[in-house]
Amino acid sequence: MINVKFENQNKLGKICTNCVMDTTDSSIYFDTNGMCDHCINFYSKTLVSWEKSLANSDTFNKTLDRIRYYGRGKEFDCIIGMSGGIDSSYLVYLAKEVFNLRPLVFHVDAGWNTQVAVNNIECIIEKLDLDLYTHVVDWEEMKDLQLSYFKAGVPHIDTPQDHAFFATMYNFASKYNVKYILTGANYSTECVRNPVEWMYYQSDVIQLKDIHKKFGTKPLRNYPLTSILWHKLYLPFIKGIKVIMPLNHFPYIKSEAMQLLQDKFGWQPYPQKHFESRFTKFYESYWLPKKFGYDVRKVQYSSLILTGQMTREDAIEKLKQPPYNESTIHQDFEYIANKLGITIKELQTYFESPNKTYKNYASQESIYKIGSGVFKLFGLENAGKR
Amino acid sequence: MLRPRIIPCLLIKDKGLVKTVQFGDGKYVGDPLNAVKIFNEKEVDELMILDIDATIQKRGPAFELIKNIAIESRMPLCYGGGVKTVDQAKKIISLGVEKVALSSAAIENPRVISQIANAVGTQSVVVVIDVKYRGGVSSAEVMSHNPVPFARKCEQLGAGEIVINSIDKDGMMNGFDMKLMKEIRDSISLPMTILGGAASLDDISCAIKEFGVIGVAAGSLFVFKGKYKAVLITYPNAEEKRAVLSNGGFNNY
Amino acid sequence: MIGIVDYGSGNVYAIANIYKRLNIDYLISGNTNELQRATHLLLPGVGAFDETMRILNNSGLKNFLDEMVLEKKKPVLGICVGMQLLAEGSEEGDLQGFGWIKGYVKKFDESLLEQKPHLPHLGWNTVEIQKVHQIFKNIDHQKGFYFLHSYFFDCSHIDDVLGTTNYGLTYASAINRDNIFGMQFHPEKSHLNGLTIFNNFSKI
Repeated sequence: MINVKFENQNKLGKICTNCVMDTTDSSIYFDTNGMCDHCINFYSKTLVSWEKSLANSDTFNKTLDRIRYYGRGKEFDCIIGMSGGIDSSYLVYLAKEVFNLRPLVFHVDAGWNTQVAVNNIECIIEKLDLDLYTHVVDWEEMKDLQLSYFKAGVPHIDTPQDHAFFATMYNFASKYNVKYILTGANYSTECVRNPVEWMYYQSDVIQLKDIHKKFGTKPLRNYPLTSILWHKLYLPFIKGIKVIMPLNHFPYIKSEAMQLLQDKFGWQPYPQKHFESRFTKFYESYWLPKKFGYDVRKVQYSSLILTGQMTREDAIEKLKQPPYNESTIHQDFEYIANKLGITIKELQTYFESPNKTYKNYASQESIYKIGSGVFKLFGLENAGKR
Repeated sequence: MLRPRIIPCLLIKDKGLVKTVQFGDGKYVGDPLNAVKIFNEKEVDELMILDIDATIQKRGPAFELIKNIAIESRMPLCYGGGVKTVDQAKKIISLGVEKVALSSAAIENPRVISQIANAVGTQSVVVVIDVKYRGGVSSAEVMSHNPVPFARKCEQLGAGEIVINSIDKDGMMNGFDMKLMKEIRDSISLPMTILGGAASLDDISCAIKEFGVIGVAAGSLFVFKGKYKAVLITYPNAEEKRAVLSNGGFNNY
Repeated sequence: MIGIVDYGSGNVYAIANIYKRLNIDYLISGNTNELQRATHLLLPGVGAFDETMRILNNSGLKNFLDEMVLEKKKPVLGICVGMQLLAEGSEEGDLQGFGWIKGYVKKFDESLLEQKPHLPHLGWNTVEIQKVHQIFKNIDHQKGFYFLHSYFFDCSHIDDVLGTTNYGLTYASAINRDNIFGMQFHPEKSHLNGLTIFNNFSKI
């Protein structure tokens, strides 16, 4: 019933000798030892910077002091974006119990929450006695925007969710003058980033608007928008709103974090990273690998290999299994179609349509390239993202 | 032994879920289908879905939406909103919904209760009575009817269940209108569900203690969390449900 | 292949969806030719006894089902009104039922119900197993099932009683004789317990 575009995601030539990234990342290159540039970048830049962060607890503690200081007399001293996934859940726990902060837990509901995600959020905020703020994205507009991305034929169809998450948080922080946003982004499980070819910058509002203009049927009145210049330059440098990534300043072993959350809060794990969203699960486990040949598990496992949380052998073994559940995928396909208000056949048509890239639509890519260069020059950006 | 039911009540407006306060403007809660899916996974006793602008917009039930909701539901469903004819009721039942709720139709044309009951069976006909106290007078009114005789009339005409929805308590989260509910309970012997004002699981326990086997419905309680009324779908898990029932004196679960 | 008999009554889509989820082949049909392919038959039902029986009589499904069930011995599961149709007749109407399981459908006696509410029997209730059978394997008996009815099956033979429920009186909420099964409750709306029943039925 469901056609397959890529029979075997693991064919295609060379694979790194150190991690499991391979030539499905078309801009990958290898040194004479067969080590890929993701690994090289990790050892030469990311690891250095990360070890410095971990060692320099003074700077981090000063940041925590500042957060507490500026939060005095206010209802909360920072906001933490929480999806219900392991990173953000662990961060919320650390913020309250270890860092002694008073966070407002911030959740963006884009219409795809799983029961497990919602339950995990509830368990944690309940037991930690924290306040929750939720922004519900206008579903009719979200649906239309997601369909636009399907019609555009590009790989990064999860942009509508990702863009909304960040835009909402930034908008909230800006509106209520919240100085500190804490996120669960971390080197420990994310030091290898998705190639831009696989997942183009979700904050590129020019691209989003172009795709929407070409394929959308409803105006974006309520959908939250942000732009790279606004949140990377204006917010931090003009309004003084800082984004902190505490998981880089604190030892973070994913399996230990999961065990702690399960024991303390009854937190339930997901089969894979990002599976707290039904759409992201479908996108990363089925759509991306089957339509484009991009298997994000390679990125995730490579990060874990580099940080000593997984062996390369283990990763290779796991990658032999298909990324999605073969016996239930037709149900997921049907649910996605139903929820988006289209027929299974229509969704199938998008699946079979020619593959496009972000280059087929307007973008601010040049700004990202310049910005990335500048930031790297100043040592402000160390995770490789190509 | 038959148990009391704990029932999330979802309101639909402009295809989206909303939660109102005293039947006024609603706060946007999101996509109905995802909420239904989550409640299904939480194994709720029953789900009530009311389309609140169908009648105002003079349109019938949203069949496509009902169909999609029914596909996701392995729990009993009650659907209301814009149902005025026997054919509409039959179609809704055929899509996989257990009970059809009548509200304005039951007031405008009470005979439709019997007609629909004859077609789909008494057990599948629910009448939702929206009650608001007028002025400072203590007698409650349903539009221009008194709810107690109206509830009796619905029972005689063949309704299978009565839902009493307190407009004054809607979204206020300050407890049920127990006096009103008791008056209705005393006047009819049909299954009854109370709705409007639940603030906590304790309110549900109190209702069970007072009425025994009853349906206890809530909107805000299962859809909002905390002082900022953050939208988050919640429902007591098996252990919590057992505690709610036992706090209400129901120890057989 | 589960044959969900579509005769205009009952929750065919909900049941179909469950089999879809269980990855078990099924078909929905009111056509006797198509239903020949079925190895198991499901008879859902909502509404009134006579109305449902009339459709089955007029469509030729009654004779077809008699043959499939009594001669070919295909497992059949009647749900709610579908279970009541297995009886010889009902107080609710005038027509004869299938008569595959001896008994008569009666209305609950409201005077036996001490507390309110009275009828219909509406909500989650438990089923006490009277005969051990694989169809009830792995059921969470405390959770029970969802009921919605005002009439019940009064079995003539105690051997046919598979499970009982208490509502004013103790009555047969599940019945079975050989390949014939009936359940008064709605397994398609009873969450995991229901899924288990449908799964177990497919293995008979």
